[in-house]
This record gives sequence, structure tokens and C-alpha cells, in this order.
Amino acid sequence: MTLENSIILSFILFSIGVYGMLTRRQLIGLLLSIEIILNGANINFIAFAHFRAVDPTAGAIFPIFVMAISAAEMAVALAIVIAMHRQTNNKLDIQQLRRLNG
Amino acid sequence: MENTIFYGLAGVLIVMSILTVSVQNLLHAAISLIGSFFATAALYIVFQMEFVALAQIMIYIGGIVIFMVITILLTAQLGARNLFPKTPLQRSWGLTVCALLFAVLWWVAKQGDAPTPGATAPEPATLAAIGHRLLAADGTGFLVPFEVISLLLLTALVGAVVVARRDPEPEAAETPSAEQALRREEETS
Repeated sequence: MTLENSIILSFILFSIGVYGMLTRRQLIGLLLSIEIILNGANINFIAFAHFRAVDPTAGAIFPIFVMAISAAEMAVALAIVIAMHRQTNNKLDIQQLRRLNG
Repeated sequence: MENTIFYGLAGVLIVMSILTVSVQNLLHAAISLIGSFFATAALYIVFQMEFVALAQIMIYIGGIVIFMVITILLTAQLGARNLFPKTPLQRSWGLTVCALLFAVLWWVAKQGDAPTPGATAPEPATLAAIGHRLLAADGTGFLVPFEVISLLLLTALVGAVVVARRDPEPEAAETPSAEQALRREEETS
């Protein structure tokens, strides 16, 4: 259990999340992948705070802000999912949701 | 002992995360996400961050994932032809990109020097210390971000309600008018 191993763990989680974002076709599947990415970032913060910080309290507070922001993000994103489901009434396949394409 | 726990939890975490991105049924994916969050919380306890572990369980598992499960049950017609299988091309593309990303991250991390540890052994972050720091108004505290986050959460929740709200007027206006038009046609004919 070293800092290096924890960083590798968070990199692995980040890569898994990116893989999910590239291959999933459901809208909610993308949100699940985003959660995995944020989880990896939080583990990185905590690992640095545990192993290297002079002041671990500040390191413990930052992931709490990340959690609050991801809660806000999920609330808005799931509201958009529900609104899209109501309007288009398809199966939320991201290859068919083209209304917001640039 | 600590090493064994760490590697065991890391293995569980990675397996659960891979299940989350690869299982076809979204509900199963959300449940394995819950498992990965529990493993993460246990990992935080190994790192002596009890408060973050508790917040992880309460916010992520108790709030966000439950919210997601409810949305999945509401919107995705599970059981219908709704399980988009990944094509081998997609899968290989995704694997290539994520392996490349991992390699780049690893290379960049190898370049930088790790920060030297603090001179004194730091005391673990206790609940009381975190509470005092979070609400301290002096230079070391986090009072301003705390308040800004509370505003952001309020705004996001109000925005979510507004976005997800059913708009009653157009539907109510459309259906009677269509019926009235039909009736008028019948009357005229």
C-alpha cells in the first residue's frame, strides 16, 4: 500500500470510466461511467492526502466538494434524461438523440 | 495486513467498475456501481478518512445511485429490446483508447517528482477537525466554498425540477382543440 499503487488504482478507474463512455449507447450508462471517473479522481485526492499531505484535513475536505458537485450534476442530468424520455419517447439511444447536435 | 486489505479492496473495486461499464442491463450496472462505491468507502477507511467514507456511503450510495436506479426504472424499458450490444469494433476502439490513456497518464505521472512528505507525521483527519476547518472563517478555512456549494446545490435542484416538470399547457390546449375541430367537421358535414 504505497502512494504509487493508489495512483495506479485511480488511473485504472479513470480508464475504465473512459472505456464506458466510449462504448455505452444508453444515456444513463454514460452517467454511470462519469461516476466511475469521479470516483477515481476522489481516490487520487485521498491517497495524496493520506500519504503526502502536511495537512490531511484539507485533503479530506476537497473530495466532499467533489461529491456535492457530482450530486448537483446528477440531479440536472437525470432531469434532462427524464425530459428527453418524455419528449422523444424512444429508448434514450444516444445515436438517435440528435436534437442537440451542433 | 493493511497491504492485504488494500489489494483485496482494489481488486473488488476494479472488478465492480468493469462490470458497471460492461454489463448490458442498466439496472445490473447500477447495482455493481453500488458495490464499487462500497469498496471505495472501505478503501477510505483504510486511508484513515472516516468522514469521507461516511459521506461516500450517504451521498453516493444513499443519494445518487438510488436516484439513478429510480430513473432507470422510470425510463429504460428493461426487458424490451433495449439492450444495445456493443459491436466488436466499438469494443476494440474503446479498449485501445483507454489503454492509450492509461499509458499516457502513467508516463506523465512517472515524469513528475512525488512531493516530499511533511516533516512531522500528520495526525489523521478527525471528524471534529474537518468540521472546524470547513466552517472556519480565517484564511485556512473553507467557509466561502461551503456556502457557494450550498447555493449551487439549491440552484441545481430548482433547475432539475424545472427541467423535468411536465408542461401542462400545450397538451391541455392541443387535445381539446383537436377534438373541437373534429366535432366542428362532423357538425358541418
